[in-house]
Order: sequence, then structure tokens, then C-alpha cells
Amino acid sequence: MHVVQGGDPRAFEVLYDRHGGAAFSLAYRMVGKRAVAEDIVQEAFLSIWRSKVRYEREKGSVRTWVLGIVHHRTIDALRRNLVHERRRASAEGLEERQEAKELTDVEAARREEAREVRAALQALPGEQSRVIELAYYGGFTHTQIAEMLDMPVGTVKGRMRLGLEKMRRELTGEVA
Amino acid sequence: MSRDHEQYEENVGAYLLGALTELESEVFERHVASCPICRQDFEHLRVAAEALPRAVEPVEPPASLKKSLMEVVNAEAKQRSQAAAPARKRFWQRPFPRLSPAFAAGMACLLLVAGVGIGVGVANIGGGNGKTVTALVDRSAAPMGTATLKVSDNHGVMKVQGMPQPGDNRVYEVWVHRGDKFVPAGALFGVSRDGSGSAAIPSDLKGVDTVAVTREAQGGADQPSEQPVMSFKLA
Repeated sequence: MHVVQGGDPRAFEVLYDRHGGAAFSLAYRMVGKRAVAEDIVQEAFLSIWRSKVRYEREKGSVRTWVLGIVHHRTIDALRRNLVHERRRASAEGLEERQEAKELTDVEAARREEAREVRAALQALPGEQSRVIELAYYGGFTHTQIAEMLDMPVGTVKGRMRLGLEKMRRELTGEVA
Repeated sequence: MSRDHEQYEENVGAYLLGALTELESEVFERHVASCPICRQDFEHLRVAAEALPRAVEPVEPPASLKKSLMEVVNAEAKQRSQAAAPARKRFWQRPFPRLSPAFAAGMACLLLVAGVGIGVGVANIGGGNGKTVTALVDRSAAPMGTATLKVSDNHGVMKVQGMPQPGDNRVYEVWVHRGDKFVPAGALFGVSRDGSGSAAIPSDLKGVDTVAVTREAQGGADQPSEQPVMSFKLA
């Protein structure tokens, strides 16, 4: 990462090749529009290139760091109403979706990991997975979610916390 | 367990999911920095939150995204290396295209702003049927601004990022240097809140050596009224 932020375009290209797909997939999942997702990913990677955000090894992997930046920027875009039509990449967005074709060993492992995380999310009680999805993928604040679901803010926060705790147990194989 | 801690304890999940407002997040971060219990809780639940982006169905990004990113990155890397090479001729020592007197004065001002960093970037990227040129940006007017102009078949598409708003009832206007004067290129544009924007240039760019951008009143102007905030050297 020091090489990338030190100004080596080739190192930056490697960083993009490794994480650009996941970054775009996340942004697209959140905004539902390819053009907006492209802008967000471009801004996120340029902020890395221009060293506006520093990688700290102790805070996790490079991939987690990159995806965290993309997530924050996408939430900013959603909250600034840059995305006028909040459309999920659901059935109506399928015509825009182009599945990644390459299925290397690394990609296969990532898909397996994705299946595990989705399974952990789906295993949650509906009220917990809903607040988590609205917050993480929808970019809504806890107060917005409370209004949408007509429930106290404390309940929303509690369900977020409980849901994350259950997901953690599921993912780490820890017995409750 | 302090009351202070109880107040923030329930925010851990919301923080990890990005569901707090910016201000709430800052307050929470300050608390976590000084509260070992919340810190432990945060680390404990982080595993789940950080897994969430990995649950997303993979979608292939367009090749144009990498291409446009690398154009900017390569151009900026070139600028950095040029800036680090003192033996090279400075930008203002290089010949500049002939300008109309009023606009030339503006361009001169742009280049002579003492002590102000001026983003210098004239990089032609790509080949074949098209080329992409990086803008020279007046850092006093647009400290974070960057821009590229992609020219193909004598027409151009400009993309800007990090630009300030042009001002109330004002727009950015594109000019082309043809003959010995700047004329409107037929393109006005604004920028979004994040400073990004784009403009297609309908003018034929054949024979044009410089494209410039100024801030003008809504509707555009016949002549540039101020020094350019950026320019592209095509020839």
C-alpha cells in the first residue's frame, strides 16, 4: 500500500485489479445504477491514490479497507441525494447486471465466502436482517429506519446489534 | 459500568453498519477511544459487519472504469515526476498558443500567480482514433480540481472532478482557440455536489490548439470574462 500511495501507477493498477470488482459490486448493490456506482468507485480509488485516506494494517486487510472506503462514499452519495432513485439490484436491475465471468481459484473461494455470509444473513430472524440490510446496503440511518418501520430507535439499534452478534457466531462457528 | 458507557453501548451495531450520522459517528469514535468495554464490543462485532460487503453478488465493472482511472493516475504520476525533475523546463517557460489580448492577459495572470501551486498536466494518453488530454488547472481557483478531455473524431468529451461550484447563477463554459481568438465551444456545464461534471463539446476540434474553461453567467458568454480555471493543450 505504501507503494501505491507513494505514487507508483503499476502498484495502483494491481490494487484496482484485485479489489475493483468487489468495490464496484458493493457500490452497485447499494445504488442500483451502474453509472453512479462507477463514479463512486472512481472517486474512492482516486482518494486512495491521492493518499487522502491512509491504510492502517492493524485495522484489517487491504480488501476490507478498500470496501470500507467505498461503503462510506456510497452512503455519502445516498444521503446527499445524488442517487435520486433508490433502486436495489433486484429483479428490475437484472438486465444491467453482468456477472463476473472469470472464475479463478481466488474468485471461487470468494464466491464460497459470499454464499456463507449470505446464508448467515438469511439465517437471522427477519426483523434483524431487515434493519441490517436497510442500514448497510440501503445507507439509511437508524432514525430513518425507525421511521420506516414505525418502531423506536432503541429497538432498531438493538436489532442491529443482536443481528450482528448472531452473524458473528454463525461465521466463526461459535456455539451460543 | 458508567452512564456514559451505557449511553453509547447500544450504538456499536449502528456504527458498524454505517447507520449513525456523521456527527454521531464522531462522538462514538471519541467514546470508543477511551472506553475499553465498547472497544472490545466493537472488535467483537466487527467480524460480522466486515463480512457484509462480501455477501454481494459479483458484478463486472466496465473496462472503461479502469481505463479512465488509469488515465488520471498515469497523468498525475507524470506530473509528479516532472515536478520532481528540476532540470526540465517549467510550464511557464514553454511556448503558449497565441491568444486574444484580453484572454491572453487572463491566461498570463493564471500562470503568474505568485506562490500559488498550479496543476500542470499535459499528458496525451492512448492513441489510434482518440487521445485523452489532462487539464492544466489553476490551483488558486480549483485546489482539488482535475479534468480530462477525450478527443476522438475531432469531437471532445470533458470530465471534471473535485471542482468548486461555479457560483450562484453561473456555469462553467468551454472555449476553443481557433485562428487567433477564443470562441465559445457550445458547451456549458455545472458540477454536482462532489465537484464532478462532464460536457460534450459539439464544436469541431480540428485545428484547435487549446481548449479552456471559464466561469460565466447562466446562459454563457460570447467572450471569456475571466481568466480560465483550466485549459487543455491539444497541439
